[in-house]
This record gives sequence, C-alpha cells and structure tokens, in this order.
Amino acid sequence: MSFSNTETVENSKDLKQIDLKLKTNLSLIAFASSLALSFMTANPAQAYPEYQAFVEKNSKRSINCAMCHINEGGPVGNSKGQIGSLSEEELKLLSKARIAFEPGSDVHSPILNEFGNKIISAVGKKKFLEYKTSPEKLAAALGNESDLDTDGIPDAQEYLDGTDPLNKFHGEPVKLFWINLNRCKTHVILTVLAVISINFGLLSLVKGISSIKKK
Amino acid sequence: MSLNSVINSTFQFVKDRFPVEKLNYHSMVEKKEVPVHKMSWGYYTGGLTMFFFMIQVVTGLFLLFYYQPTVSEANVSVEYINKYVAGGSLIRNMHAWSSSCMIFCAVLHLLTAFAMKSFVKPREITWIAGVLLLFITFTFGFTGYLLPWNQIAVNATKVGLQSIEYIGEYLPGQLADVPRIIRETFQGEASVGQSTLGRFYALHVVILPLTLVSLLGLHLLSVQIHGMSQGVDKPAKKSEKFMSIFIFKDLSLWAFIFLCLFTVSMCIPFESFLPYPLLAPYNPLGSTPAGIKPEWYFFFVYYPLEMLPFWVILLASMILVGVLILTPWIFKGASRKTLGFLTILASLYLVVMTIFGEQIYELFKH
Amino acid sequence: MTNTLLFIVLPYLAVFACVIGSIYRTRKEPMSYSSLSSQFLENHGLMWGSLPWHLGILLILLAHILAFVCPGFWQTLTSNQVLLLSIEAAGFGLSILCLVGLVILAIRRLTSPRIQAVTTPMDLFVIALLLAQVALGAAMAVHCKWGSAWCSGTTTPYLWSLLLFQPDLSTIEDLPLIAKSHIVCAWLFILIIPFSRLIHLFAVPLEYLFRPPQNVVWNNSRKLKEECSAFVAEDTRRHFLKAALGIGFGAFLLSVGTLNKVFNFFFGPRLSKKEETELMEVKLAHLESTVDQRKLELERQASNYIMVAALSELNQSSGKYFIDYQMQPAIAFKGKDGLPLLISAKCTHLGCTVGNKVDEQGRILCPCHVSYFNIETGQPNAEAPAKAPLGHLSWVIMDERGSILASRNLEGKTACSVNQQALANGKVYIAKSQEDKT
Repeated sequence: MSFSNTETVENSKDLKQIDLKLKTNLSLIAFASSLALSFMTANPAQAYPEYQAFVEKNSKRSINCAMCHINEGGPVGNSKGQIGSLSEEELKLLSKARIAFEPGSDVHSPILNEFGNKIISAVGKKKFLEYKTSPEKLAAALGNESDLDTDGIPDAQEYLDGTDPLNKFHGEPVKLFWINLNRCKTHVILTVLAVISINFGLLSLVKGISSIKKK
Repeated sequence: MSLNSVINSTFQFVKDRFPVEKLNYHSMVEKKEVPVHKMSWGYYTGGLTMFFFMIQVVTGLFLLFYYQPTVSEANVSVEYINKYVAGGSLIRNMHAWSSSCMIFCAVLHLLTAFAMKSFVKPREITWIAGVLLLFITFTFGFTGYLLPWNQIAVNATKVGLQSIEYIGEYLPGQLADVPRIIRETFQGEASVGQSTLGRFYALHVVILPLTLVSLLGLHLLSVQIHGMSQGVDKPAKKSEKFMSIFIFKDLSLWAFIFLCLFTVSMCIPFESFLPYPLLAPYNPLGSTPAGIKPEWYFFFVYYPLEMLPFWVILLASMILVGVLILTPWIFKGASRKTLGFLTILASLYLVVMTIFGEQIYELFKH
Repeated sequence: MTNTLLFIVLPYLAVFACVIGSIYRTRKEPMSYSSLSSQFLENHGLMWGSLPWHLGILLILLAHILAFVCPGFWQTLTSNQVLLLSIEAAGFGLSILCLVGLVILAIRRLTSPRIQAVTTPMDLFVIALLLAQVALGAAMAVHCKWGSAWCSGTTTPYLWSLLLFQPDLSTIEDLPLIAKSHIVCAWLFILIIPFSRLIHLFAVPLEYLFRPPQNVVWNNSRKLKEECSAFVAEDTRRHFLKAALGIGFGAFLLSVGTLNKVFNFFFGPRLSKKEETELMEVKLAHLESTVDQRKLELERQASNYIMVAALSELNQSSGKYFIDYQMQPAIAFKGKDGLPLLISAKCTHLGCTVGNKVDEQGRILCPCHVSYFNIETGQPNAEAPAKAPLGHLSWVIMDERGSILASRNLEGKTACSVNQQALANGKVYIAKSQEDKT
C-alpha cells in the first residue's frame, strides 16, 4: 500500500546521463557524489515500485522495500541504509554498483541488502531496468540455484511468493513443510519410535498401578 | 429469608458440589466410568486442552531462559532463540503452534460440553471454572502476542487496548473515564511501550499460569468427583473404566497429537503465514504498516468489529459472557436437541468468521 | 607362535568342540539342555541378580553380533558422533549392570546353603570367567575408548578371515593386552558351552516374553495361597518391567536424537566472531533507537521548544514524522500558503499511526481501518470508521538566534512578523503549552 507515488527515472535518461559522465572522465568520487546529488534533488524515488506492485499482486502478500533494500522505506532518506546516510567510501561502492550493467560483476551496493545485490550481480543492471515493464521475467533470470537463506526455496521462487528471501523461517508454508520434512526425516522417525515406545511404557505403568489397586 | 437459611443453603450448595464422602482415590479414580456413545469423543477434548497446556508450560520454561522483556532486547532475543540457540526455533514454534491448538481445543471443549449438557447440577462449578479457564486462555494469547515486540505485535496490541477505551463512550458521567483508566493501567504509560511489555510479561509468565493452574485444579477435581456427565438423553448402554481403559485411549491420543505437533513445528515456522514486513522489529517512529490483524482466534470478534458499530459488538459480547457464565441456570430445562442445534449454529458462525472473515469484510467494504 | 595358538587354533578348536559337544549333549542328555533352575531354592537374590545380568548381556551381545555381522551398517552408525557417544554410554552402563547382576548371583551361589548343594565347580568357573570377561569389556570401554568404532577395522576383519578359512592376524596383532584377553576369553566361552550351564544359550526362552505369565508353586495349600498373591505381584511387576523397558528405550531414542539439543539449548550457543559482530550490531541499533526514544522524552520534559524540521525540508506531498509533547506521533507538511502544517498522526479511531503520503485529494491514509483524513481540515472521510478529526498542532518558526519569526496557535491563528524570504531559512518548532508545563 505504501508505494512511493513520485515519478521514477526513465531508463534511457538515466543511461544517457551515466554515459555522458563517463565520457567526460570525471573522477570517480565527483561522479558518485554528483550522481547521488542529482537524484536526491531531481528524482527522489529511485526504488522500483513496479517490482513491488508485481510481487504483491502475484503473491497476495504485502511486501515492502526491505525485500531488496536495506531500509524498509526505500533508498531515499537519511536513515540507515539510505543514500543520505552514506559515507564517502559507501558512495564509491554505490556508484560502482550503479554501473554494473552486465551480469556477473561483484556488487556491494550499500543501499541494497544481500538479495538486492544478488539480483544486480546475477542479471546486471541493464537487464534489470528492462524487466521493469515485465517483472515476472526477473524470476526466470535469477535462476533456481541461488538460495541465500538456505531454507530450501530458491530466491527466485521467494520473490514470486512475496516471502523474505533472507529469512530462513519465512516462506510459503506448504513448500517449507515438504522441504523441512525431507530434511529432518530421521529426527521425525526417531521421535515417532521414541514416542511410541514411551507411550507403551506409560500404558504398562498405568496397567501396573491399576493391578496393584485391584488386589 | 433469614440469614441462617442463606448460610444453610450456601453450605448445602457447596456440600452438593464437593461431597466429602467422595473425596478419595477409590471413588474418584477407580470407580469412575466413562459412558460410550456417539458423542464420547467429546470427553477427550478437555484432556487434550490440558495436554497442550502442559506443552506450553514446558516450552515456555525453555523460552524463559533466553527471552528478555525490554523494548530494545525483546525482538533480538526472540531472533536469537530462532537463529542461534540449538533447537530454539523448534521450541518457539511448538509454543506458538501449541498455543493455537490449545485455544482451538478449549473452544471445542466448551462447545461439546454445552451440547452434551454437562453443566447441570451438580456440575455448575465445573462449567463456570471452565468458562473462566477459556477466558484466561484467550488472555494468554493476547498477552503472548505482544512479547516478540515486532510490528504486528505492538500495533495489534495498540488497537486491542484502544478498543477498551471505546467502551467509555457508552458509559455515563464519571464512569466514562473508567475504561481509559483501565487501559492505562494495563498499558502503564501513554502509549504501548516498555511498561506495557513488562506488565504483559508478568501476566503471561506468572500471574496467568498460576491462576490457570489453580482453576484447572478446581475444574479437574470437580470432574473427577462427579464423573463424566451422561452426555446423551438415553443413558448409554456401554461404559468403560476410567482407569485404565479411558486413560489408555487418552494417552495414545496424546502421543499421536504430540507427534503431529512435533512434525508441524519442525517443518512450518509459525510466522510464515504472515507477510514478512510485519515481523520486523517495532518502529515507534514509523507509520503503522498495512495488514495489521490479531491472531486467527480473535477473528470471530475482530471482523464483526470492523463491520458493525462498536456498541453492537459490545452489547453482543456482554450478553455472550453473561450467558456463558449463567448457562447452568439458563439452559437448565433445555433439551439436548435444542442445545445441539445452538451448538451447531455457534460453531458454524465461528468457522465461517475465522476462515472467511477476511473475504466477508472485503465484500462488506466494497 | 602364541598368537597363532590363541587366535587361530583356539577359535577353530572352540567352535569345533562347541558344535560337536552341543549336538552330543542334546542327543544324549536332552533334559540338561538348559541351566538348572534354582528358583525353588532361593528366589529373592535370583530376581535382583539374574534380571540385570540377562538384560545387560543380551543387549551387549546383540550389539557385538551386529557389529560383526553388518560392519558397514555399524560403521555408518558409529560415524555419527552423537550416536557413537550414546552407544558407548549405553554399552558401558549395560556392562556395569551385568557386573552388578553377576556379583549378586555369585554371592548368592557362595552364601545360600541350599544352592551350594546343587552348585558344581563348573558353575563357579563359569561365573568367575564371566566376571573376568565383563570386567575386561568394561575396562576396555574406559582405557581403549571408542571400541565400538575401531572394532570395525580390527576384530571384524579378523573374525571374517576366520570364517572364510583364511586366518589373518595382522589387524589384531597390535591390539593392547586387554583387548586380546577379551578375545581369548570369548573363545574360551565358546569352548566350554557344551560342558557347562552355558548350553542354555541355545534355549533362549523367547516365548516367555509372549506367553501368559505362569508361576511354579509348591503343591501344598498354605504355600499355594501365598504364591497366588505373589503371582499377582509378579503380574504387576511384569507391567512395571514393561513400563521401565518402554520408557527406557524411548528415552534412549530421544537421547540419541534430542539429548544433545536439550543440553545445547541450556549450554547456550557459541557464536562465531562474525555472528557475534552481527548480533552486537543489531543489538546496538536497537539500543540506540531506545536511547533516541528516551532522549525525545527527556527533551520534551526539559525544553520549551522542540525542533521539527527546517522549513525548507518540508513539502506538500510527503510529510515528516515527529513526536509531539505527549509522545504521540505527528506529521509536518508544508501548507499551500508556504507555512508549516502540523497535524497529529494518531488516528482518532484506534490509535494507529497515520501514513505520511498525501493523495490527490489532499488526504492521508490510516492503514489499519482505512480512514482518509484531509490534512487541511483534519476531517476523516464520510465512510471512515474514525469519526473525530485529527488535531492540528501549534508551531513557531525561529531563526538561528532564537527570535520568533512566525507562529500559529491552536485556534489556527497565524502571526507573521517577516516576509517569505526571511522565513525560508527559519526552523519549525513546536512549543510547550501551559498544560504541558505543569
């Protein structure tokens, strides 16, 4: 319900801007700070509400920016994990992440969480911007190998389900049930045996007590 | 009526409910018989509720070792239990699942006892103790919900407590302020904060369990003294010994239920049904996130509260509480057929409101 | 040479003698094909001696056989650390149980005059040898730890080599003396089976477990009556025995699966450096937010003005949250007139915090029960569950030196002493009212 209702950057403009900046060969810091400055003033919301809207519609669960960003309120602002709070060092990382157009690059954006960084490094910023119009394709692009929280449901599936890809205890209940049942079947079997045996013992105990009293 | 006769009749009342000559192992356990008929499954619901309570006590004690009831630590400590403590997530899940099961069984127990007319003389005390136990169980749910101190917990508690204050609008004069004072007593400060957490913690961990155990003692004692109620109109032809046939079946059922509970707690984290933003730690400076609602077992009163004027709900719940407590006298003469019909109506309402409450609410709103 | 004699010749000899001797004995003296019962002669010691002994040795023998027959399966079992620990613990416990039982049986045999009469020297020899063997086993559990794990690489191959008639001593040559004596003792037992009461090994009364209880009684009326009540007691005891067995086995299984977890639960987690750092960070962040909260409270107690924001920070579409003097949330917007617009964010319905985003109709939304409030008037929409309007807050604008440039009181009356340009650098404050001061 809390989509940011301000306009987002158009990709072409964004790309052009970056291209231009690169050509002018400005130093990295100047580039980063000017970039950060440019969208703090001109384009306040740099999150991608299209994805949020898609996930909420697809999964019927409400989610917020914290699925991919560090701050649940998105990247804009002065709180933790928002652009206003970044140090010089972090701004460098941010600008590096923002030009990771091709997949496979090592991304450590200070405004993104592990899953957000994973998306950018797995599909690349270029593709990511393309998928904005068809967010369902992002899941396919992420593939099924990566499972950051090791709960057994791949990140891409958690994205579609609207569950937290970084919380081991959060996922579609039915899927989690089968995965965990398979994982701890020895425990379950042992417990079944133990409970049956203890129950047998208790029943005998009751029998014993009642036969004492019968005398 | 003279004072003397009042005292005498009171004394007689207590004597009828707790006959001294029956207060021994022989008549309370050995001689006890459990009737066998098509409703006898109802006899197991009470024991099952108690079993879940025992699980709650054990898992609760486990959790007590790590939980810290302060606003800055509560959420972290719960996460710590989940993430780092060996078997912590299992214990916590069992506590959560078992709480839901306990409430389900308690309500089921109430419904079956009502349908079987198990409240007539000399079982009035049993019934009233049972109704009080049910209220305590609900209070357990309400207080326990706040303890993890996450978004949904604190915000739902805020809404819940604020509804108390609403009652004030229907009270005259000086009384109008009483609900507010009650709310602030529970809350401890102007808004839900550290004082609230401390109070809820004390209630959940010490006061409610002690009350519940003592009432449960009374409940069980009177059940054992008077034996199982007949349950059906025609006295059942068959019956089985409480010791040891009934206990046998009870224990086996408990073992089976325990296995189910264990498997489910092992495999499905209780929180996975909620959207995850609600599980984030409570943020006192942010806005209330969407999708705040109470636990499922409050849906039957929550959704009507959303749809109907407040006074309707207030009146209805007051009548309900009154009727529940006075049931042994109100329905003294009712036939089991009538009671069964009423029970089916009530269960139908509970089931529909709990499962389809949200859809009905959506329909109603648009 | 000695090795060959003890570990190759003796085994074959023992097995040969055992087979031939046992067949001979069952053919020639079938009635002696069991151990001679002494229950008639002395009952009390038998119960406390025989039961623990047989229970213990049966389980221990089963484990030995399992280890030798299915070495692969045994190895998978013992490679699990928890399971290995449980097996060792159970084995040691059971051997102690056996020892206790044996000692009681031995004392009984040596002290009861009635039993002395039927005791043969062979019986005494068997008891002595058993004591020695069990003591050796227990000693091995203490001195040569994890025998259940290393046996699959030493004694198991040795036994298999004997079985396949290709004796190979290489795996057991280097075993300590204790282990070697344990093995030799075992062969001795097999050797004397046909010549002693041990022959009852082949007549393990398994059907006793399932048949209805019977009791042997003297045939005279006084004794009969006594024994009948004893019989009921025996029946009760049988139930208790079953109870102990069931609960014990269940507890054992539980201990294999969960005992370490339960222990670790109370022992507490030992975090890695990284996890500890992460946890500390999270805790610190929570503490900091609590500190902020307390600071806010203190500030509201102490100061007469609380800063909300610089006027330039405020805008019309998205409000800034702040906390008022009652510690309730409120939102600051910029009004159409360019002056601040401060409105309470505590929903008048059930106290949720209202959102800070303004929609096209100039309204903010309470997400709990969907009430829209107009920020200009504070009024909720007609269908909303909230009936009362959100209250506006009074404010003042001050410059850096603390002089008041503009203010608005609770009635909505605005006083402004300077022009718009001068205001732009001002900061918005809320002022403590007379009520709050007292």
